[in-house]
Amino acid sequence: MKKTLLLVVVALAVTAVVGTTAGARSDATPGVTRTSILLEGTFPLSGPASGYAPIPVGMGAYFSYVNAHGGVNGRKIRWHYEDDGYNPANTVQITHKFVEQDHAFALVGGLGTEPQLAVRQYLNDNKVPQLFVSTGATTFDRDYAQNPWTIGWQPDYEAEGAIYGKYIAKNLPSAKIGVLYQNDDYGSDYLRGFKAGLRSHQSQIVTAQPYDLSATTPPAVQMAKIKGSGADTLVLFATPTPTIQAYVIGTKLGYKPANVFTNSVSATDPFLTIAEKSGSNIVEGSMSVNYELDPSNPIYNKQAGMKLYRSIMKKYAPKANANDPLNLYGVAKAWNTVQLLQKAGKNPTRAGLMSAARKMLFSKGKKNANPFLLPGVTTFTKGSFQYPISQVVVVKYVNHVFQPQGNLLAGRGALR
Amino acid sequence: MRRLGNPIAFAVLLVAVVAAPFLVSNYRTYQLAFVGLYLVALLGLNILTGFTGQISIGHGAFMGIGAYTTTILVVDHGVRDLWTIPVGGVVAGLVGIAFGIPATRFAGPYLALATFAIPLAFIGLLKRFPHFTGGNVGKNLPQLRPEFGWSTSPSIWFYVVCWVVALVMLPLAFFVVRGRFGRAMRSVRDSEIAATANGISTAAVKTAAFGISAFYCGVAGSLYAIGITYVNPDTFPIDLSILLLVGIVLGGAGSLWGMLFGALFVEFIRISWGPALLNLFSRVHHIDTHAPGSGLVVYGVVLLLVLYAAPSGAAGLVRGVTRRPAFLRRKDDPSLSDPGLV
Repeated sequence: MKKTLLLVVVALAVTAVVGTTAGARSDATPGVTRTSILLEGTFPLSGPASGYAPIPVGMGAYFSYVNAHGGVNGRKIRWHYEDDGYNPANTVQITHKFVEQDHAFALVGGLGTEPQLAVRQYLNDNKVPQLFVSTGATTFDRDYAQNPWTIGWQPDYEAEGAIYGKYIAKNLPSAKIGVLYQNDDYGSDYLRGFKAGLRSHQSQIVTAQPYDLSATTPPAVQMAKIKGSGADTLVLFATPTPTIQAYVIGTKLGYKPANVFTNSVSATDPFLTIAEKSGSNIVEGSMSVNYELDPSNPIYNKQAGMKLYRSIMKKYAPKANANDPLNLYGVAKAWNTVQLLQKAGKNPTRAGLMSAARKMLFSKGKKNANPFLLPGVTTFTKGSFQYPISQVVVVKYVNHVFQPQGNLLAGRGALR
Repeated sequence: MRRLGNPIAFAVLLVAVVAAPFLVSNYRTYQLAFVGLYLVALLGLNILTGFTGQISIGHGAFMGIGAYTTTILVVDHGVRDLWTIPVGGVVAGLVGIAFGIPATRFAGPYLALATFAIPLAFIGLLKRFPHFTGGNVGKNLPQLRPEFGWSTSPSIWFYVVCWVVALVMLPLAFFVVRGRFGRAMRSVRDSEIAATANGISTAAVKTAAFGISAFYCGVAGSLYAIGITYVNPDTFPIDLSILLLVGIVLGGAGSLWGMLFGALFVEFIRISWGPALLNLFSRVHHIDTHAPGSGLVVYGVVLLLVLYAAPSGAAGLVRGVTRRPAFLRRKDDPSLSDPGLV
């Protein structure tokens, strides 16, 4: 009887592995056939970070649009993504599958700092492009020399911090600044950039209060200290939950700073609405940054990029909420991916894709700027400058919409 | 038959384990390596849950302790990863005993709730001491590389490591659940009062079972870290503990061979079967299979269907199919009277 049981076990084990689709590949480049290019990515479709699930939907909509218009050099893009639940252990196993089983040409848009850190070395060892990761952690751009197959896309946290510094130095030169920051790489990326942006105005920081992500209590002591310091400008470099707590505690303490700056990770309409509904009266007028067209703001409706975005979403992702900026983020990233695939040529290779990524210039001046980004935002990499998007505009949260304030600012280097 | 059955079964398993990498792709070999390490974890948890009757929804944290032990020894102290596997087991086992001493005074659901605290506290501690654990950002381990001058793919190397460990731990588990101690465990499971009346210290048995199960999970966790090549708090979510318990139930609590099914399920439902089923659903009907959480729905449906078809897990199902029809059965058929040793 046990023998039977074992035989069943073995049979099951064999069935488990059937479905091994090695597929006949004649080309030298994995993932590229005469008619298609395979791109894959991991995203959290379940679990605590599943709010980011619209990103791959937007990417897929744009790829479908490109395929309907002839594809890239005659090849259709096959876009496949899977749920890693924001658990790096899943990311690693799925990424092994993408590389060894599916033979993806490149991994695009993989989401999350930690999940992408977990597979960075593996992808670089196997020389598989880890293109345009969906995280602002500075390391994915800065450490390109050790990781030649990895590149980010959106403005990194350090650059974003620098923007707040520059904006305050220019527009609020007598402000007294109180900073609340997360006591890890994330918060210190922001703080480092912020100080660099302030330059000679660093003495305006009257207090910088760290908090631990592991703390079981909200950052009440820190907020009390910031209030006590007399700061009239509150700067929050925190993840969504502590940000909401800081807003609410500030109000409870009777703290009413004249200006509040909130990093873009937490400054989304849903999070700020929660803070308001939880009793905070200092949410309205909060400042943050943006670099894309914002589908929730009607002032962009006349832009050609916004019209194209809406028509693509209507046709290729009709069920998605086109007013969610995360869909547009996906579309904009897919646009950039298609540009690189075209640059990689008629017989694209992984190395060709990466060398195109290392030398990008999509700008208004060259009339090839990404149509889904704010007018004037350049996508630029060259030599040791590997921070694709680093220009943003400061925005102000008024009546649930982010309104742009003034012109584009460069988070790194000069405006191009 | 019982005396003869296990060596034969073990030999068949051995042949299957040796043959598998030759039959399947590189990636599937990598997955089957995880089946091996999950088998180790489930064997351990089964000693506590299946044989001693104590439910734990916190054993993912003991995998985490083993994984972090390996990571810190390898990354910060340059120890060779293979040597850290037993260390990870021992550290987790000691923590298990330390937790077991007070916690096993609880009975039934109260213990289950107490064990829920382990992963919660573990994740909190990881974030509290970032200089030691790497905090949220975690730590990268070296990539998988064959050792001892063997030139093969990293996946096959990892497969061999996992299954050598699993094939050592499996007979060890048989050894544990047999004999005096095994009987003591089962008597605690079946009736604590009767066990106490027979002179068994139920607290000592439960604590020992807790320690042994934590040791097994620690070993599995070390292998996990070596295979994933990365650890951070998100790698050991509470789901992992629950998944291990689900693996036990689906495999058949109280059956060591059943754990093979459990391990296959734990590995394949998340990474392969779930997406494949989703794919199937999307073809059958226009369901938005990329909607957030749709994978969890499939997982839940599969779980319910399996439990409906086989309430005592895969081992119970096989028992039901293979046992002789009632009129041929002798009254003392051991497969009925002693499910614990199938």
